[in-house]
Amino acid sequence: MTRRGGFTPGFPLVFGREFARLRRRPFLLALTTLVPLALMALLTGIFSAGLATRLPIGVLDLDGSDLSRTIVRMVDATPDAAVSLRVGDLAEGRRLILSGRIHGLLMLPRDLERDVQAGRRPEVVFFYNAQTLTTGNLVLRGVAAAVQTAAAGIRLSLRTARGQPMDDAQSSLAPVPVPVQTHALFNPTLNYTHFLLAALLPALLQVTMMTGMAYAVGLDVETTHRLRILRRLGGGLWPAMAGKVLPYTLLFLLVLGLADAVLFGLLGLPLRGMPWLLLLADILFILACQMAGLLLALLLRPTAGAVSVASLLTGPAFGFMGIGFPRLAMGGFAQFWGALLPGTWFLMARIDQTVRGTPPELSWRPCLVLLGFVLALGLLSAARLEIMRRRTDAARAPRLPVTAEAVP
Amino acid sequence: MTPILAVCAEELGRILTLKPARSVLIMGMLLYAAFYPQPYLNEALHDVPIALVDQDGSTSSLEFARRLDASPDLSVAAVLPDVPSAERAILARDLYGILLIPRDFEQELLHGRASPLALYADASYLLMYQRMSSGVSAVARAFGAEVETARLVGIGVDPALAGAAVDPMPLTAVPLFNPQSGYATYLLPAALVLILQQLLLIGTGLLGTLPRPTPGVAAGPATRVGGRLLAYLCLQVLVVPFYLVVLPWIYDIPRLGSPLLILAVALPFVLAVGALGQVVAGLFRQPLLVQLAAASIGLPFFFLAGFAWPAEAMPAPLRLLAELVPSTSAIEALVGVGQLGAGLTDVRTPFLMLWGLAGFYGLLAIMLERRRQP
Repeated sequence: MTRRGGFTPGFPLVFGREFARLRRRPFLLALTTLVPLALMALLTGIFSAGLATRLPIGVLDLDGSDLSRTIVRMVDATPDAAVSLRVGDLAEGRRLILSGRIHGLLMLPRDLERDVQAGRRPEVVFFYNAQTLTTGNLVLRGVAAAVQTAAAGIRLSLRTARGQPMDDAQSSLAPVPVPVQTHALFNPTLNYTHFLLAALLPALLQVTMMTGMAYAVGLDVETTHRLRILRRLGGGLWPAMAGKVLPYTLLFLLVLGLADAVLFGLLGLPLRGMPWLLLLADILFILACQMAGLLLALLLRPTAGAVSVASLLTGPAFGFMGIGFPRLAMGGFAQFWGALLPGTWFLMARIDQTVRGTPPELSWRPCLVLLGFVLALGLLSAARLEIMRRRTDAARAPRLPVTAEAVP
Repeated sequence: MTPILAVCAEELGRILTLKPARSVLIMGMLLYAAFYPQPYLNEALHDVPIALVDQDGSTSSLEFARRLDASPDLSVAAVLPDVPSAERAILARDLYGILLIPRDFEQELLHGRASPLALYADASYLLMYQRMSSGVSAVARAFGAEVETARLVGIGVDPALAGAAVDPMPLTAVPLFNPQSGYATYLLPAALVLILQQLLLIGTGLLGTLPRPTPGVAAGPATRVGGRLLAYLCLQVLVVPFYLVVLPWIYDIPRLGSPLLILAVALPFVLAVGALGQVVAGLFRQPLLVQLAAASIGLPFFFLAGFAWPAEAMPAPLRLLAELVPSTSAIEALVGVGQLGAGLTDVRTPFLMLWGLAGFYGLLAIMLERRRQP
């Protein structure tokens, strides 16, 4: 073993050299830490409310009766919708929906109260903007609940007026004959920070990790000379690889840890499962993304090409991971593609160990898949490195005698 | 040839000859068009598998289960003896909900009392939860109304009035613009605008940082910025109709807007993004840095646009920040004219905002260009 300036080649040397490089290249350090943290902070800010409440809707009250005013009040009192505007006609309501000032329009028809009392079953109509699915569903929920409550009050008076004895009518006055008590498992308040934000932050980090790693490795792979130096400093293939990869593992773990500290500490994300299993999944996820970036940098040159492919793989990945639109409902290709993304499996493991509190025996599978990714991508990278070394050796070997002859 | 046209021609030549720029601006556009929509092609989530725990075992409970299974939202995938055994299946993601029909379900109904059901629905995937809760509620409402009407008729209420007594004031909900509440219909029009922005931003950022021919066309900074914008417009004249007219048609998304109006709104959007790309190039100076910086920004930009998550629920400073990103106004305006059939007056505010951004980033690009000039 050769000694260089008093350093023994091996893992610590490469490991330390990588940190020194991060100090010299502030952009690389910012890219792997500050940029994802800033973008995560931005996303956290966007979803900080957790719930979207009091979304503006318009009312077209053609009746102007006690009943119609009661309905408007009840709608306004629901957490989901707020009656922000009263419109004069449907055309005005349409314009307001098109310009995005209101998400829906509740139309209470002329003679609503009179027709209800006469048992003519007049229709209350709610037009809502279903193009924006989230807000559309929320305002619909609010209006439906309010109209149902108002209708329940009417039913009692209708029955007693129509010849049903009072006590009989009252005894059957359930708001609905078959009420459904819905229990939202794992996320009782339907909080978007626990559902969406908690999944978005790792998805964002996946982009950073894969592109960042492709870039960091690219710095060493640009010339075969640098690659040989790295290997010699490491004193072998595996220590060199570990020394190159692990500094970033620690940085990414730090970033993920900070994001989780905010989620658990500030935003109340429950940690119902096993913290050690979550940590294990964290590490495997980070390593899997890093290995993917590493392999891309080894296969594709120049580095720009590797970074492009990494961002193509991870940029649109969130849709494939099945958080917004479940994987269950996807077609064959989308399911297959989703299964190839480390994030898909990590989010499963993460959701298991945070909100769901899944016991380990039901949750080991995603972790095992992630481990499979790490091993497969790691071995492929090692094989690729070995091939690259053989090739450069082979390219050098025949030249040696030539130079020996040329220099007598 | 006037200088501005010369700059434009030079930039178009670079788009076609520089491989990184070409692969983003042409190949990337094609690839994303085919790749991105894949998860959403089935439009809707159907037949969410749930477990039935029927403690009643009566004719009514069996009939209820049958109707539930027949509804498009849910499918009864397992009949289990108790709730704990179903919970395990939920944790394993084999099932997503449990419907518990309690003992005496039928008995209570026959006595004319409210006969509640319990639905335990997985809310760690919100779309699944919504589908299950709305599916079970709809079946329960219809079932309950039938039972109650029959009972009122039985005790001698006029059948016509019995219907009114059960449901005196029905609510008709009319979903506008997306009648089936399809997920692709909801997401793709906005996402396509975001992809346009993302690829144009990276592409122009790369063009601004990749080496330029020396000596280039002799022109002032404003002419150079303007000429390049003209080149991006020439390219986008092909790409924008493909993304905003042809793709919605291919993916069968409801379209109400006229293509001309869409192009008119896209004009300031392309200018704003093209100018922003030149600003980005002026700040980062290296193609690789542009790529790295832009890679992870798409996701936050999408949620910042106030489309998937309402702007009303965002903190005020973020809403201001969102206005600086062209996609925010562009999604509002382009989805408005394209999918909602809005006129230019309806989307006046975001349309003018896009022109404002085009002017602002254009000036910024000229200033950076002047600084760069020797």
